Amino acid sequence: MTPTCIALITLLTPLVSAAIIALFLRKQGALSSTISTLAAAVVAAGALMLAFGGHRDASVNASVEWLRLGDFVLSLGIKFDDLAALMLSIVGVVGLAVHVFSLGYMHDDASKARFFGGLSIFMFSMIGIVLADNLLMIFIFWELVGFSSYVLINHYHEKASASDASKKAFIVNRVGDFGFLLGIIMCYWANGTVNLTELGHLGDTHALVYSRLIPLLLFCGAVGKSAQMPLQVWLPDAMEGPTPVSALIHAATMVAAGIYMLCRIQVLMVPDALTVIMWVGAITAFYAALCAITQSDIKKVLAYSTLSQLGYMVAAFGLGSLELVPDGKEGTLVVISAGVGAAMFHLTTHAFFKALLFLGSGSVIHGCHHEQDIFKMGGLKKKMPFTFVTFTIGVAAICGLPFLSGFFSKDAILHLAQENNKAVFAILALTAVLTAFYMVRMWKLTFLGQPRSHEAEHAHEGGLSMTAPLAVLAVLALVGGYAGHFFNIYGRAFQGVWSQIPFAEGAEPYVTSIVILVVGAGAALYFYKSAATDTLEDKAPAVFGFLSVVKGSPDAVYDWYVAKVQQRFAMLLEFLERIFLSGLIIRGIVSGTVGLIGIGARALHVGSLHAYVYWFLFGSALLWAYAAGWLF
Amino acid sequence: MNSLPVDLLLLSIATPLVAALAISLGMPLRLAKGLAAAAFAVPALIALFLWSRFAGETQHATYAFLSVYNTGLQAVGIHLSLGLNGISLPLFVLAGVVGLAAGLYAIQSNAERLKTYLVLLLVMQGGLMGVFASVDIFFFYFFHELALIPTFIMVGIWGGKDRNYAAMKMTIYLTLGAMLSLIGLIALYHKSGANSFDLIALRAALLEHGLKAAASKYIFGLLMFGFGILVSLWPFHTWAPLGYGAAPSSAAMLHAGVLKKFGLYGLVQIVLPLLPLGVAEWARPLALLAVVGNLLVIGFITIAQRDLKQMVGYSSVMHMGYAFLGIATFSVAGAGGVVLMMVAHGFSVALLFLLSTSIYHRTQTFDMTEMGGLAQKAPVMAAFFVAATMASIGLPGFANFWGELAIFVAAWQFSPLLTALSVTGVVISAIYGLRSAARVFFGPQTEAFAKVEATKPVTDLTCCEKLPALILIAALFFVGFWPRSISTQLNSAIEAIYHPSAAVQAPAATAK
Repeated sequence: MTPTCIALITLLTPLVSAAIIALFLRKQGALSSTISTLAAAVVAAGALMLAFGGHRDASVNASVEWLRLGDFVLSLGIKFDDLAALMLSIVGVVGLAVHVFSLGYMHDDASKARFFGGLSIFMFSMIGIVLADNLLMIFIFWELVGFSSYVLINHYHEKASASDASKKAFIVNRVGDFGFLLGIIMCYWANGTVNLTELGHLGDTHALVYSRLIPLLLFCGAVGKSAQMPLQVWLPDAMEGPTPVSALIHAATMVAAGIYMLCRIQVLMVPDALTVIMWVGAITAFYAALCAITQSDIKKVLAYSTLSQLGYMVAAFGLGSLELVPDGKEGTLVVISAGVGAAMFHLTTHAFFKALLFLGSGSVIHGCHHEQDIFKMGGLKKKMPFTFVTFTIGVAAICGLPFLSGFFSKDAILHLAQENNKAVFAILALTAVLTAFYMVRMWKLTFLGQPRSHEAEHAHEGGLSMTAPLAVLAVLALVGGYAGHFFNIYGRAFQGVWSQIPFAEGAEPYVTSIVILVVGAGAALYFYKSAATDTLEDKAPAVFGFLSVVKGSPDAVYDWYVAKVQQRFAMLLEFLERIFLSGLIIRGIVSGTVGLIGIGARALHVGSLHAYVYWFLFGSALLWAYAAGWLF
Repeated sequence: MNSLPVDLLLLSIATPLVAALAISLGMPLRLAKGLAAAAFAVPALIALFLWSRFAGETQHATYAFLSVYNTGLQAVGIHLSLGLNGISLPLFVLAGVVGLAAGLYAIQSNAERLKTYLVLLLVMQGGLMGVFASVDIFFFYFFHELALIPTFIMVGIWGGKDRNYAAMKMTIYLTLGAMLSLIGLIALYHKSGANSFDLIALRAALLEHGLKAAASKYIFGLLMFGFGILVSLWPFHTWAPLGYGAAPSSAAMLHAGVLKKFGLYGLVQIVLPLLPLGVAEWARPLALLAVVGNLLVIGFITIAQRDLKQMVGYSSVMHMGYAFLGIATFSVAGAGGVVLMMVAHGFSVALLFLLSTSIYHRTQTFDMTEMGGLAQKAPVMAAFFVAATMASIGLPGFANFWGELAIFVAAWQFSPLLTALSVTGVVISAIYGLRSAARVFFGPQTEAFAKVEATKPVTDLTCCEKLPALILIAALFFVGFWPRSISTQLNSAIEAIYHPSAAVQAPAATAK
C-alpha cells in the first residue's frame, strides 16, 4: 500500500462510517458505536503508520483538480510534512481515546447512533484540515468541523440551552470565517495560488506579495475557531455537548485547528500582523484565566482554561519573530519560526492533558450521576481513586509541575516571551499563576474533603472503556513533553517541528515554574475551604462580583446585540419594506406602468381558472396568427 | 445533428403535456396518479440520460442533441429548435429532477381537486423542460409563459393565506417582467439583423456585425430589469415571499426551484455573451442592487420573519443577490458560479418548501414561535431540515457551496468592497437558517404546539414524503461532492461563447 493510499484511507474511513450510520443504523446504537470506534482505530493506526513510518512530502503528497471555472481553479490535495504528521497523530490518538471513552460514557444514551455518527463526521473533517494542501481545502473542512461541532453540541437538543449553544457556536464561527474566506480570496488573486507548497516557494524566491491584510484576515478564521477575543463567547456555552465531545472537539483538536492553520500560513506573515496576533493571544489567555476563577461547573472551569491555553498558543505564534536579514543583495524578510515550534509544542501537550482532564471530568460527572457542580462534589478521592490519580496528573501538567509535559511547553512559551516582549511575558507569567490557582481550586473542591451531596456519596468509577483512555492519556501527559530537551520520545518523527522549539537553558525555568506553582497552587489550597459555597464569594464578595462581571459582560454584550440591535434593525427594515416598498413606491411604479394591464388583471377575477386559460389561449392565437403572417 | 434515434428533448416536453391532456379528458383518480407519476419520471430520466451522454456528443456551436422543427412561423424567423449546451444541460437536469420531486409530493398530497392540480403541474413541467431545451429564444420565452400561467392559477385556487392578493400581485409583477423581457428579446432580434430567433444564428450575426453601444445599453437595461423582476431583483421582489408564502407546496417548489431561474438563465445564456457593452454600463448598478438590496436588506428582513414559509421565500430572494453579483462580474468564473448556484438553489429551496409543508401538516401553523421540539417526535424530518438548511446556507459538501464560492472569488476582481459586503451573507444566512431550525425542531415544545399535538399526534416523515425529499438531498450531495459533474461542460460552454475581449472589440471596428 502506498503512503498516499494510507492517507486516503485515514481520511475516508470515518466518512464511510458516518455515511453507513446515517443511512442504515439510525436505530442501532450499539452497532453504530462499534463501527465508529473501529473507524477511529483505523484512523489512529493510519496516522501512526504515516507519522512514524518516515513517509513525508513527496511520497504522500497528491493533488486532484476538483473545480475549474475560468481562472478560478480549486484542487483537493494532501500535504504531509512533519507539522501535518504531528497534528494527524494527535487527532488519531486522542480521537481513539475519546471514542473508547464514549462507549462507556454514552452507553445508555437514546441517540447513541447520532452521537457516534457525529464523531465520525468530525474525524473526517478534522483530518481533512490536517492533510489539506491548500487554503481553500482547509476552508472546506473548516466549515465541516463547524458543522460537526454544531451537531454534537446540540446532542441534547430538547434542552433550550443546548440548542442555543449550538446555534451560537456555528454563527460566531461563521463571523470568523467571513474574514478567513476574504483572506483566502485576497491571497488567491494577490499570489495566484493558495497552495501551501507553492506559497512556500514564492516565499523562498521572495516573489510573495506581502500585505498586512491577508494574514490578518486569515487570522480571523483562527479567532473564530480557536475562540480568541472577541469571538470567545461560543466556547464556554459549547460545554452543553456531551463531555467526550468537549474533550475531543472543544479542547484537544478542533479549537486547536486555528493554531495549526496559523502555522500552515506562517510564510504569509508580516511583523505587524504577528504583533496583533501576539496581543490577541496574550489578552485572551489572561482574560479567560480570570473568568475561570469564579466558575462552579467543572466543565466551565475546564472550558475557560482551554480558552486560556489557546491564548498561550496564539501568543506563542505571534511571538515568533521575523527579522530583516541582509540576504545577498537586499534585506529580505526571513521567518525565525520559533513561534511555530512553541505553539505546536504546547498544542501537543495541551491536547494530552486537557483531553485527560475533560475525560476525567466526564468520569466524575458520570460517577456522580450527571452532577456538574463542584460545590456539590468533594471527597471523590476515595470514591474514584483511579480518576483521582489521573486527574491529578492532568492538573499537575497544566500547572507546569517540572518534568511533566505542560512544564516544558509552557516554559518554552514563557522563554520566548521573555526574549521578545517583557510585557507579554508578565501577562503570561501572571496567567500561569492564575492557572495553578483555579485548577487547584477545582481539584481540591472536587476530590478532597467530604462528599457534599447525595450524588457524591454514591459516586463510582466507570468501566474499563472509561479508565483505559484515562490511563493512556495520563501517560502521555506525563511524558509528552520530552521532545528533545532531555531526550525525545518521538524519535525523529516530528523533528521538523521540534527543532524549532525555543528551549530555555539553565536552572531559571525550574525556579520560575516552582515559584508560579507554589504561589498559585499554594494560595488555592490554603484559601479554599471544602465547603458548599465559594470561599471567595464569602470572604471577598467585591472581588468575586468583579470577576463575575468580567466573565459575564461579553455574553451580555452579545445578547444585547442580538436582541436589541440585530433584531430591531431587522424588524425596522421589514417595517420599512412593508410600508414603503411593498405598499407605496413599487406598487405605484408598477401599477402606474402597467395601469391598464393592472386593471385588466383585476377584472380577470383572480382564481377563475377558465378566465386565465381563455386569455392565454386568445393571446397565443393572436400572436401565432401575427407571426405566421395571417394578420396584416 | 442529433445522434439519438428519438428526439428525447421533444419527448421530455411532450410527455407531461400529453399526460395533462389525457388526465383532463377524464380518468379514474388512481390511474391519473399513476400516469402523472410516469409523466414526471420520464423527463427526469431523459434529463439524466442526456447528462450522461453529453460529454461524448459532437457539438455544434456548443450545442448537442440539436433538432429543428418547422412550426409555420419561419416567416419571422421562428423555429422550434431544441438542443442542450453546457449551460442549459445542468438546468435541464434540475428541471427534470425537481419536477419529479414536486410531482411525487403533489401526488401524495391529497389536495382538493387533485386531478386538476396534477394537470396544471404537468403543464408547468412541460413548459419548464421546454425553457431549457429551447435554442430558439422565441420558444424559450413561450415555454416560460406556458409554465407561468399554471403557477398563477395554482396560487389562486390552492393557495393558503391571502391567496387572491398573492396571485394578483404575482401575476402583475411577473407579467410586467415578462413583457419587458419580451420587448428586450424582440429588440435584440431586430437590431441583430440575423432575421432569426435562433440563438446560434443571433450569436453568429452579432459576432459579425456587433451592436451599437447605445442599442446594447438599452436592450441590456430592458432585459436586466425584465429578467430581474422575474428573479426578484430588489426592489422588485415583493411578489416573491408573498407568492411563495401563499402558493401550494409543489407549485412553490417548481416556481422557486426552477421557473424563477428562467431570468438568470436568460442573462447568462443570452444577455451576457450578446451584449457585452451593455454589461459594462449596467454592471455597477446591478451589483449594488444585488448586494445592498437583495443580500443585506433582504437578509436582515429574512431574520425578522416568524412565518416559516415566508422566511424560505425571503431567503430565496436573498440568495438571488449572489447570482446577480456573479452576473455583474461578467467573467467565466462568475457566470459559471451563477449556474452552479442556480442548480443548487433550485434543489435546496424546493426541499425547504417541501419540508415546510410537511411541518405544517404536523403543527397546523407556519408560525415558528408556535412550534418547538418537533425533533423529539420527528427526528428524520429534523435531519432533513437541518441538511436542507445547511445546504442553503452554503455548507461545503452541498452543491450550494461551490456556486457561492465561485461567485465570491470572481467578485473580488470586480470589487473587493462589494465582495466583502456580500460575504457577510454567509453570516446572515447562518443566523436565520439555524434560528429557524432551532425554533421548529429543538428546545422544549411550545404550549401552542403541545395543544395541537394533543388533538393530532405527530408522526415522522411518511415514506411518500420521504421519497421526493431523498431525491433532492441526493442531488445536493452529488453535486456537492462532485462539482465537476457539471462544471467541466459548463466551463467549456461559457469559455466558448463569452470571449469578452473579442466581442467588445467587434463593435469598435464597425463604428469606423
